[in-house]
This record gives sequence, structure tokens and C-alpha cells, in this order.
Amino acid sequence: MKRDQRFKSGIISSLIPVGFNLERWSYTVHRITGVVLVGYLMAHIFETFQLGAGSTAWANTMAALHSLGPLELVGLWIVAGSALYHGGNGIRLILNEAFGRFMGKPILPVYPYSPTSLGKNQKIAVWTITAVVLALWVWAGVYLLAGVGVI
Amino acid sequence: MAGPTSAKGGSLMKESWNMVVTYVTAAILVFVLTFHLLLHSPLAGKAFDATLSFGYATGDLTYYQVIFGFLLFAAVIHGFNGIRAMAIEWLHPTKRAWLLNGIVFVLMAFFLAVGTVTLIVVG
Repeated sequence: MKRDQRFKSGIISSLIPVGFNLERWSYTVHRITGVVLVGYLMAHIFETFQLGAGSTAWANTMAALHSLGPLELVGLWIVAGSALYHGGNGIRLILNEAFGRFMGKPILPVYPYSPTSLGKNQKIAVWTITAVVLALWVWAGVYLLAGVGVI
Repeated sequence: MAGPTSAKGGSLMKESWNMVVTYVTAAILVFVLTFHLLLHSPLAGKAFDATLSFGYATGDLTYYQVIFGFLLFAAVIHGFNGIRAMAIEWLHPTKRAWLLNGIVFVLMAFFLAVGTVTLIVVG
């Protein structure tokens, strides 16, 4: 296979993990949400910079954002979901990679080479995080889009 | 256990150190970003739109300037380092890694400068 084709194949398979295991799906979603968050971070730093220019500049910035209509809040909801998933999955990764949690006990490599690191504990961790994140994301959606839930 | 050693070959930092930076900034972000989101959540006792008012936003930056400073540095370093890691995996810039590292470093410095100026002026 040519060099460029091989690289293209790697990029596509890392973005569309069809046929791969749960861990690979979580890896892909972690990366996509990370890119979304960096994009928002850059815009958010510029947006917040307007605070230093005074209340009129801030009002103009808010007016420009509000002119997007429902897209503004839907965009923020997507960013909130990205932050929730990236954060939740990030905690799992820190526990996993830095502290060795959910990894399973090491065994001799016997065919068909099922890695203990992708065993029951890892699956429970991924699905638990997904469930908690989805619940919080729905809550964020109700608050952002319907304005309900102020305590 | 030996820790990550210094960089060789002209790169800014050894990759093992980069992972340490990634984990540390991620751990900081879990706390300070949660705090930031809570200031705009239902727990703030206001509608979301009300938390975007000039008075509320400047008040946050003034009262919690140090926390927002941690948030800015952790988010920018973690975010751009993550983009750099993805670019390395996808592009394999063996001969031009210095260019990628340089671009990421300049972008980090730029956004850190803009954010720091905001924190100083508003705070």
C-alpha cells in the first residue's frame, strides 16, 4: 500500500470505528469532543476578551450571539455535552492509565488473545460514564433550551 | 521509579513529560471547569441568560481570578497539546515535527496572552 493511502486509511478508521470494540468508540468520541472543545475554547477566549472593553462591547457581543437564534443555545448544548463526555471519559482514562484501574489481572497470551484490559470492569466503567453523561446532558438541555430547572 | 527524562534532538519536551502535563492539566480541569460550569448552571439560582450579564461575568472574573487563571492555563495547554498529539498520529511529521511543535507553541502563547490580558484588565 502506498504511504498516502495508508495514512488516509488510518485517519478514516480512527474517526469511524465501525467494527471495533467499545474502547475504540470511546477513544473516537473522546477525540471528536476534544476538537469541539478546543474550537469553542478559542472562540470563548476572544468572547471573554470583550469584557475588558466595557459593557457596550460586551452587550454588542451578546447581541451578535443572540442573533444566531436557537443555534446559539443548541451550540452551547453541544459544547456542554462535549465537556461532560470528555471530562467523564478523561477521569476514566486517568484512573486507567495513570493508576491501573479497571485493567484486569495480567494473564499469559493465549489464543484468541482477549486482552484483560478490555474486560468486564472496563466495559462497566465506559457504560456508567456514558449513562451519567447522557443524564447530565439531558439536564443541561432542559436548562439551556427550555430555561427550566433554576434552583 | 525513574521519572521522564529531558528532551533530546531539538524537541521542546520529551513525549513522556507531555503525558505528565496532559494528566496534570486534565486533573486541574476536572475541578476548575466544573466550578466554571456550576457558575452558569441552575445551581447558580439564575436563568442561563442572566448569568451572561456584564455585571455577573465581570464579578466572576474579579472574585475568582486565580481559579480562572488556572482554568485558562490548564485548558489552553491541555487543548493544544491534545491537538498536537492528534496531528502527530495522523500526519507522522517525522521531518517537520519542529514546525508542528512551533505552530502549536505560538498558538498556545497567543491564546494565553489574550486570556491573561482579559483576567488582568477585568480583575
